[in-house]
Amino acid sequence: MDILGQIISYIYQYFDNLGFLLLSGVGLIIIYGMMGVINMAHGELMMIGAYVAVTAFHAGVPAPIAVVLGGLGAGVAGIIIERLVIRHFYNQLLSSLVVTWGVSIIISQGTLLLLGPSIMNMPTPLGSFSVGPFAFGVYRVVMFLVALGLIVGVWSIFRWTRLGAQAQATMENPAMADALGIETRRVYTLTFGLGSALGGVAGAMFAMTATISPFFGQNYTPMAFITVVIGGGASPILGLAYAGVYLSAVQTFASNIFNEYIGYVSVMAAALIALLVMPSGISDFIERRRTRATQR
Amino acid sequence: MQQTQSNGFVRFLRSFNGQQTLGNSRFFWCAWLVVVVLLVLLPFFGSRYQIITASNFLISSILALSLCLIWGYCGILSLGQAAFYCIGGYAYGIVAMNLIEAHGNTDLAILAGMLAPAIFAALLGFLMFYSRLKGVYVAILMLVTSLLLGLFMRQTADPSYVIGSAYLGGMNGLSPAKASDPSLPNIILGLGESVMEFDGRGREFYWLVLAVGILVYLGLRWIVNSSFGYVLVAVREDPERAETFGYDVRLVQLGVFCLSAAIAGLAGTLYTAWGTYIHPDGFSVAANILVVIWVAVGGRKDLTSVIVSTVALNWISIELSTLGEISMLVLGCILVVAMMAAPEGVVSGLGQAIGRLIRKPAATTTKINSQPPAHSFGLPKVERTP
Repeated sequence: MDILGQIISYIYQYFDNLGFLLLSGVGLIIIYGMMGVINMAHGELMMIGAYVAVTAFHAGVPAPIAVVLGGLGAGVAGIIIERLVIRHFYNQLLSSLVVTWGVSIIISQGTLLLLGPSIMNMPTPLGSFSVGPFAFGVYRVVMFLVALGLIVGVWSIFRWTRLGAQAQATMENPAMADALGIETRRVYTLTFGLGSALGGVAGAMFAMTATISPFFGQNYTPMAFITVVIGGGASPILGLAYAGVYLSAVQTFASNIFNEYIGYVSVMAAALIALLVMPSGISDFIERRRTRATQR
Repeated sequence: MQQTQSNGFVRFLRSFNGQQTLGNSRFFWCAWLVVVVLLVLLPFFGSRYQIITASNFLISSILALSLCLIWGYCGILSLGQAAFYCIGGYAYGIVAMNLIEAHGNTDLAILAGMLAPAIFAALLGFLMFYSRLKGVYVAILMLVTSLLLGLFMRQTADPSYVIGSAYLGGMNGLSPAKASDPSLPNIILGLGESVMEFDGRGREFYWLVLAVGILVYLGLRWIVNSSFGYVLVAVREDPERAETFGYDVRLVQLGVFCLSAAIAGLAGTLYTAWGTYIHPDGFSVAANILVVIWVAVGGRKDLTSVIVSTVALNWISIELSTLGEISMLVLGCILVVAMMAAPEGVVSGLGQAIGRLIRKPAATTTKINSQPPAHSFGLPKVERTP
């Protein structure tokens, strides 16, 4: 029974890590794949999602709806940021990196000034189940399922809807898409809004597991950045999935054998190794192989 | 004989001028000399507090120059430049605390403060540049590296983290391992038998930092206006084309990355000696973003502008700190507004305007710094999608 519990514990930790990586990375990688912008303010959008959700929850809104509200809040914030700032920096990769970083400190420091260093927490819902001596939170399982659901949902949007087709065309060749009558600027704004909303949902979900502060998002963004770098932008969703599966395996393994810190360092090392083999990310690598195969 | 000597001297002076830097006129150098003289004389009319603050500003300027070199001139943005600064600081502290009693000076420690970050940069840079990583990835990975190092240093409060007589000390920063061990020493330069101590709060230390700052500034001006500087700019403008002309882009990037790390490490060394204090907050997001703000607001493609903006922004944040915790917020706003209004930098924009004003009578306005130098051969610039 103990061995079974141990095995389940490892599997549980693996999916827990994977859930965190996927949730925090999904919004980021969509924006990167679509616009080539790595949004340094992603952590702050997660923070906005968390704040909105917590406020709504304490106002009596049920938790699931609070999470959706958090997503909406961050989405609106994202659209505002895109309209005000980011549209001036299309196709300037390094500058957009720096300017979004500036936006991130404005948001986090502004929140700190307006709302103070902390806000009431949200309890972790749904209790736990146990196998042998090990107890597992049900909520973490739900979180993983939500991550999976979001990824499938985003994939379907890109695959089946009109907006998705326009977005893919814009990603493939912005000039041609523009010439064919697609309003690429609108596509960019909507993609950025969607990415931000996904960040907001992630933040709201994380809010139920952690202490919330204006700098709350910064706990998750380093791992999210690594996931995006490894995933690459060629086909964002696939890249995210591959990168998540790979990195959380490394993280779970290393942090179980050593400690949490070594877990992080191993993820970084694993990322560097992966980049040696595939310098522009897993999805670019696979994409290129696939096109080579079809050309043959 | 007299003639050739003076020609040689003029040529030496000219090697600091060129297309890659603003401020090549006689007027600029006269103004520069006046500023330097005023800075040298500052301890005679400034208060003690002002001198201590000025030392800190100069140290920050050296750090900013190190980022300006790689980002502005070679196109490598590092969002984790403060990591090199802190590695330098820790290396200096650890070596100095271990050797101060045996050697009586900190010469080796200063060397370590520059070599440690350079070696770290060489390892990391080798992995990043030789796998031809995209620029954004390099930027992000540097930031993550810095945060991870910070995370490591934070959890070193355990008494087992001792290197010789230095204890890493977690959030409390570097401190002696045992009560009998020496604490973090001042910079003590030793030459043969004679030694010279620079108290971080004193004016001798200020002069030392000023001298180092001027040397770094002139050295970098010389480098970026040399033929190597042109190669750097070629790599920034178009790596593929630079490669076609036979330059090993990866080697150039790696070399300049290590040089920049060494300069940042030197700044970190001076910082540690300034406050006899170094702790993990230097690896944080805030520390890293500050450097980027200084360089971006000043104008990343010009060394002088970066120094001016670093000093100005540092002064602004000190003035603001009397009003409460708003300095980071204001600096963030300054960054975003500056990036939108003057993408090439506020100070360098002003500098170009002043230059145009001065040169107006001559009516020959050459645009400095915005064009790729030499070797263009009128080839069309290749449009690349992200």
